[in-house]
Amino acid sequence: MAEQRGTVGGPVLTEWFATPDLHKLDVYESLGGYSALGKVVKEMTAAQVIDEVKASGLRGRGGADFPTATKWSFVPKDHPGPKYIVVNADESEPGSAKDRYLMENSPHMLIEGAAIASFAIGGHAAWIYIRGEYDLPFEMLRDAIAEAHAKGYLGDHPFGTDYPLDVRLYRGHGAYICGEETALLESLEGKRAQPRSRPPFPAVKGAWGMPTAVNNVETLSTVPWIMRRGGAEYAKRGTEKSKGTRMVTVSGDVQKPGNYEIEIGVTYRHIIEELAGGPMPGRKIKVFWPGGSSAKVLPASMLDTSTDLDGLKALGTMGGSGGIIVMDDSHCVVKGAARLLRFYAFESCGKCTPCRVGGNWAVRTYERILAGQGSQIELGILERVSDGLQNGRCLCGLGDAAGWVIESTMRHFHNEYEEHSLHNVCSVEAALVNA
Amino acid sequence: MSTLSEHLIEEIRELPAKYPQPRSAVMPALDLAQEEVGYLTAEAMSEVAAALKLDPGYVEGVATFYTLFHLQPIGKHRFYVCTNLSCTLRGANEIVAHVKGAVGVHEAGELSKDGLFSYEEVECLGACEYAPVMRLDHRYERDLTPSKIDALIAERRSLATPSAVEPPHPALRADLPAKRGGKKRTTKGG
Repeated sequence: MAEQRGTVGGPVLTEWFATPDLHKLDVYESLGGYSALGKVVKEMTAAQVIDEVKASGLRGRGGADFPTATKWSFVPKDHPGPKYIVVNADESEPGSAKDRYLMENSPHMLIEGAAIASFAIGGHAAWIYIRGEYDLPFEMLRDAIAEAHAKGYLGDHPFGTDYPLDVRLYRGHGAYICGEETALLESLEGKRAQPRSRPPFPAVKGAWGMPTAVNNVETLSTVPWIMRRGGAEYAKRGTEKSKGTRMVTVSGDVQKPGNYEIEIGVTYRHIIEELAGGPMPGRKIKVFWPGGSSAKVLPASMLDTSTDLDGLKALGTMGGSGGIIVMDDSHCVVKGAARLLRFYAFESCGKCTPCRVGGNWAVRTYERILAGQGSQIELGILERVSDGLQNGRCLCGLGDAAGWVIESTMRHFHNEYEEHSLHNVCSVEAALVNA
Repeated sequence: MSTLSEHLIEEIRELPAKYPQPRSAVMPALDLAQEEVGYLTAEAMSEVAAALKLDPGYVEGVATFYTLFHLQPIGKHRFYVCTNLSCTLRGANEIVAHVKGAVGVHEAGELSKDGLFSYEEVECLGACEYAPVMRLDHRYERDLTPSKIDALIAERRSLATPSAVEPPHPALRADLPAKRGGKKRTTKGG
């Protein structure tokens, strides 16, 4: 069990996190764990499970924000062969660490949720695709799955029924693109992780060619609570259109970085200044990424923005995977954006030309600007490359995300770009030297 | 004579049955091979391919796509230092510079003289609340400072006293090719 940092004792996902040894089955069970799975397999139909989750209003927490019950209902009911739940535990979005936090604290919560989801789509096996760097969560899940089998909660006769359920693990080996669901499926099938063209969607043709629902760790970890307490109870939390709670990871220039469970609808000011302790002494917040590095940045003047997902969409950005990266006035936005573009260029799988070429083009342009070789031409190139990366020109969103970093940082901090590009001046560094 | 031990090849042959389709065994198999040899030599990849009845080119294609498969010798202890944005904001570049100096290497991937250490800069490790972070010996080391790095290195050096029982680190074995050519990758597909 790793040392943990962040709020504990929150209302839904982190409800039991203050209890020591929660990762052990007997502790998890003593608090009510696996009661939801027991009820589901013994007393409910798949349609009832989907209805309950539908009533909760739960939406996917991996970034796409898609209604979970709707996703499950897309999986054909009359399909004769196997159907799969695939758990996306490939958390690699810069700024996001909440899935790791959930798995390290309560692996059984995810296993129970994955088993319930398998039942809901009429499947018998869930595959957890976990990124290779997550050694500790992998070991904890492996041990927890063994415990659940030994106790008869998974296997051929879970809770004495005749509905076989299993949860399996598959390790990734280092590739950001595996967080994209179709690339993840390719990887799970033993291939290079390159996104597929859609249709067919995974619900029709997913893992190993079979109907599949791909769900995020946090999404499935929420499901046992919903089945225990009811969808209506979950829906009391949050805003009208964004129900419930969610995890956020706050990192960067704050006093108390950590994972926090928030009720959807609180403001970023609340999260960054109250929960995460605000900026370092003597510093001011300049900019923040509201939902992982792939969400368009917002300047500090927009800290009062709500975490309501539709509200964020209206601003052209997103709550994404919940990774909030905070940058203060001692850091240069151009350098930050350049670092992220290096990331997107490196992680491009190479399948679509705009992303493969555009990312590297942007990196070279940033390098020229930061080397003092910039001009108006470089600024124009960045704008055009940013546009070329976006708007559905690629099979997945990686290229778009790279473009959003350029576009949103240029829009809000054009002065810093101009200083660097036209005058070879970093006013941020200059201010630090003179301070 | 093969690079992989007979019992490992036997183990790899049994992997495909664990998955709905046999091809899914390729990464777990490469994992086993890398663990035994230390890194993936061309011979090791060919033997994995033969054991799984796959094309060697296909297996190499998979191995080159993922950053956790190493095609060149790596130190017994590899520092995977995150330098993505959240870690950089909290001093990751200074950590990298300190690691280089402390183990005595000039660039990523280079082995320290004793073969014990190497480092690479990696993308987000998913532990941003503990920035700066790195992965070392299958665990995360968090809230890194130069003195923490020094302690981690000292600990590993003190455990590394030569023993008659322990075989030499694969990277230093004379019967394996020293270094495969290949340029530094910029894009996985490119």
